[in-house]
Amino acid sequence: MAVYRPSQARQAKSQTAPEEPNLVPIMNLFVTIIPFLMLMIVVGQVALVALNFSSEGGPGGGGDGGGGGGEPAKQIEIHLMLRDKPEAGLFQGMEIREIDGTKHQLPALQDRMYDFRGLNTLLIDLKERHPDTPEIAVIVHPEVVYDTLIRTIDLCKQNGFPTVHYKNPKNVYFY
Amino acid sequence: MSSNNSSRSSNKGRRVIRKKEEDVKGLSITSLLDVLTIILVFLMKNVSMEAVKISELPDMKYPTTMTKDSLMENPYVTPVKLYTDRVLLGLGNLLLGEPQDLIENVEKRSMMQEFFRNEWNSIPEDKWDDACLIVQADSNLPCGFITEIVRVGTNTGYQNIYFATVEEAEWLKSYNPAAGR
Repeated sequence: MAVYRPSQARQAKSQTAPEEPNLVPIMNLFVTIIPFLMLMIVVGQVALVALNFSSEGGPGGGGDGGGGGGEPAKQIEIHLMLRDKPEAGLFQGMEIREIDGTKHQLPALQDRMYDFRGLNTLLIDLKERHPDTPEIAVIVHPEVVYDTLIRTIDLCKQNGFPTVHYKNPKNVYFY
Repeated sequence: MSSNNSSRSSNKGRRVIRKKEEDVKGLSITSLLDVLTIILVFLMKNVSMEAVKISELPDMKYPTTMTKDSLMENPYVTPVKLYTDRVLLGLGNLLLGEPQDLIENVEKRSMMQEFFRNEWNSIPEDKWDDACLIVQADSNLPCGFITEIVRVGTNTGYQNIYFATVEEAEWLKSYNPAAGR
């Protein structure tokens, strides 16, 4: 293309051929950052389960006694028990107490093997009957294994009870 | 070698024309750079600084859950690690003792209370709502120990308590009491 104006011609002369950018510094940066990030990446991601605490004492108090006894529940309660003590209303398994006082017992299938499938079915049924209730309380006896507690909380959350209260059974001492 | 020699001897006097070698071009690193850029963006999206604090401990057996709750934004995390034989407090993994000490040893319990109080006091007052206690416990531990940790934590002022688990969407289907889990 012909250049007519002298100024344009001068500019054209001053322009040099485009050079390839020097990528070595950026490559150095990348090579440093990538192993660093790969070290930090967590492959087995830990999930988290949040807890809620009731205003009536939290995990330090609350609860309505062990197995059979106690006042009617203010919210749906799941009692997790491990010891067999029929005279105190304790057995190995779960007891679900509804607000109206109805109790459902789910004995352990084997030693320390709880009936989670039965609990799941019961929770589905409870949710159908109480669709507006987001709260449920899990009352766990101290000797029950942590895994059982977490699985129970998990099933509650899975079946539409996102607010799970964690309670400790009330200890009564006799002198 | 011998065949070479024989061919040379047979072609004696004939001019050998060697094939002109092509110039070796420099490697283009543009495509490599593209790949690295994609990897970099992917890694930077996935890496979470907070995940480092609650990363999976290799020597701990976690309970499994189908559901998971997300950790609140900008939390002030205080982790507590409960193994079957030891209890570690905080990011510095301060050894408290055995889990049994949480119930039986008054001195250890007051040490834990003191630790939680110090952690709590190190958080700015306007950020107390963002304080989180994360309990990482072995799945075979009795709940009594967990309850003790939670009790001390709530008494200190922690309102957000999380339990660390491993996500397994189908645990209920695969739960087999006859097989032991």
